[in-house]
Amino acid sequence: MELKLCNHSSYPRIGDDAERQLLRRTLAQRDRGEKTDDAVRAAQDRMTELALAEQEEAGLDLVTDGQIRWSDPISHLAAKLSGVRINGLLRFFDTNFYFRQPVVQGKLERTEPLLLEEFKFAQEKSTRTVKAVLTGPYTLARYSIEENGGAGGFAKMLEGYTAALAAEVAALAAAGATVIQVEEPALLKYPDDFPRLEQSLTALAMSRASAQLALVLYFGDPAPIYDHLQTLPVDILGLDFTYNPSLVDRVASNGTARTLALGLVDGRNTRLEDPAAVARQLEKLAHGADLNRAYLSPSCGLEFLPRDRARQKLKHLSVIRNTFLGSPA
Amino acid sequence: MSRAKLQGLGINLPLFPITSVGSFPKPDFLLKARAEFAKKRISRGALEKTERQATQFWIRTQEELGVDVLVDGEMYRGDMVAYFAEHLQGFEEGGLVRSYGNRYYHKPIITGEVHWEEPITLEWWKYAQGLTAKPVKGMLTGPYTVMDWSFIEYYPDRRSACLALAKEIRKEVEALIEEGAKIIQIDEPATSVRPEELPVAIEAMHVVTDGLPAYFITHICYGAFESIYPGMLDLPVDNFDLEMSNSGLDMLELFKKRRYTKDLSLGVVDVHTHVVEDEPVVEQRLRQALEVLPKEAIWVDPDCGLKTRTVEEAIAKMQSVVTAAKALRKNNDE
Repeated sequence: MELKLCNHSSYPRIGDDAERQLLRRTLAQRDRGEKTDDAVRAAQDRMTELALAEQEEAGLDLVTDGQIRWSDPISHLAAKLSGVRINGLLRFFDTNFYFRQPVVQGKLERTEPLLLEEFKFAQEKSTRTVKAVLTGPYTLARYSIEENGGAGGFAKMLEGYTAALAAEVAALAAAGATVIQVEEPALLKYPDDFPRLEQSLTALAMSRASAQLALVLYFGDPAPIYDHLQTLPVDILGLDFTYNPSLVDRVASNGTARTLALGLVDGRNTRLEDPAAVARQLEKLAHGADLNRAYLSPSCGLEFLPRDRARQKLKHLSVIRNTFLGSPA
Repeated sequence: MSRAKLQGLGINLPLFPITSVGSFPKPDFLLKARAEFAKKRISRGALEKTERQATQFWIRTQEELGVDVLVDGEMYRGDMVAYFAEHLQGFEEGGLVRSYGNRYYHKPIITGEVHWEEPITLEWWKYAQGLTAKPVKGMLTGPYTVMDWSFIEYYPDRRSACLALAKEIRKEVEALIEEGAKIIQIDEPATSVRPEELPVAIEAMHVVTDGLPAYFITHICYGAFESIYPGMLDLPVDNFDLEMSNSGLDMLELFKKRRYTKDLSLGVVDVHTHVVEDEPVVEQRLRQALEVLPKEAIWVDPDCGLKTRTVEEAIAKMQSVVTAAKALRKNNDE
């Protein structure tokens, strides 16, 4: 049994020591006119390197750039598209984190790469495989509003975001990304929109070339739509197991042909999981999923934790795996 | 309407009472003192002296602007949850967590049984109230929000953590009332976040306020109000202070469908933009609310605390609020 370890997506871009406060400090100085945009980019580079190093030190097989450069999961992508202006703050799901809402004013178009340079930088700096992470078209559309006719309604807006992100998926795959993660937490709030998501994901899947496409859902219980998820054209399914303890049983009984990213470690609470309890969940899951190609993962991005605790959670993945692999089959 | 309740408490307010949500920006002299204190170059006593000066500044500023129900401006607080966590037993300070953009806060961790040992805000309320003849609001963060914005390690679930906090926060409310506070605001910005937990927030607010002689306000912001309305009207408070302008006053549409039954502190300026709204814009927002709500029910204030703005921006935004409210007051008195 192998069971690989991966980071989910984001990682704290600040810590309690001066070195890890570099980005906050530099951004504040830039806002006061004391530093340039180049200095901000250098600070982002440095913080990305630190995030990568901490993931590697925790023994992860699959890492991310920590989304250090992201202002938030929505506007970081949407702001780079033409036809969008960025508006006021809105709460990001049920967190105490706020994103700036995109206002779609016309046709959505990708006129420049969205994440390509960020991915290339991280891959160059890491000895591990770097997963490229995108907020998905459906979630972007759900958290956008339209004005002056916008894109022409929600369906057109989703179409626009899908086309833009499909082009980005193709560019990332061409640049060597082997795993491309598409995050669609909004689906769990609007499960009736499954057909829309399916159509959107199909377009992304057609652009992935030889890369593996991962659909990742979090901040909710995927159990009610678990069987539908099996029909989607993705290679990896990432699920948040913290909202419904019986999801483990659902996976064990209904099975899956997909590679699973198992979000069994709570990315939103500092309490460390009992390794034996998680190992028991893994034993159950082994009845429905091939754990040799599965990933053990936090349930969501780790930016919702203080850095010291995020680091502990990543290290805890190894502890859990060791407990599981040492436990009777 | 709760005007009778206010009058019963000895408070007479004009039409469209003007207030603010709670926090004001810290003046430069206080920011410097806080930095010096962090570097251990000045004593806590010296910092507190500066915090009192800043409180004086904001009380005087609010009086000069013509605000009717004042706040102390929270010059002594960092974050609205961390401040209470620092003063209640059972918490540890967590590391920094981002709230938006380049803003971070220390998210507390509940590692033991929570316990109120002594008054937390009382001395500041007494100090601020001693500086003015106008009523000063007692300002607390509610149990649901303290729970939601903390990591929970000690309690088995969110509800038990929330109710334990409610029992302790009630003691602070009782202490404020005993010293003469008549208007107490219990901020619950997290209330709208998990609609399925609204019953927990209501249960906790009952624990905090039931049977106590004060006019209670609760502030809620930046959430999906449509998912908790009209159920939120069961929160046992007299006045909801709502962020309205940031969301284009879309709550008013909900009020048209299901009657709103409490007083409303109407947020009429966006606190997360440097742009200071023109007075006609603010006045128009008020007029929109008047199409839906009785005039006696409306209070006027910014969307949220102004601490993220500069001192100048905060004063300018409050000036817009005051001017618009007074213009409308004049028209409606005629």
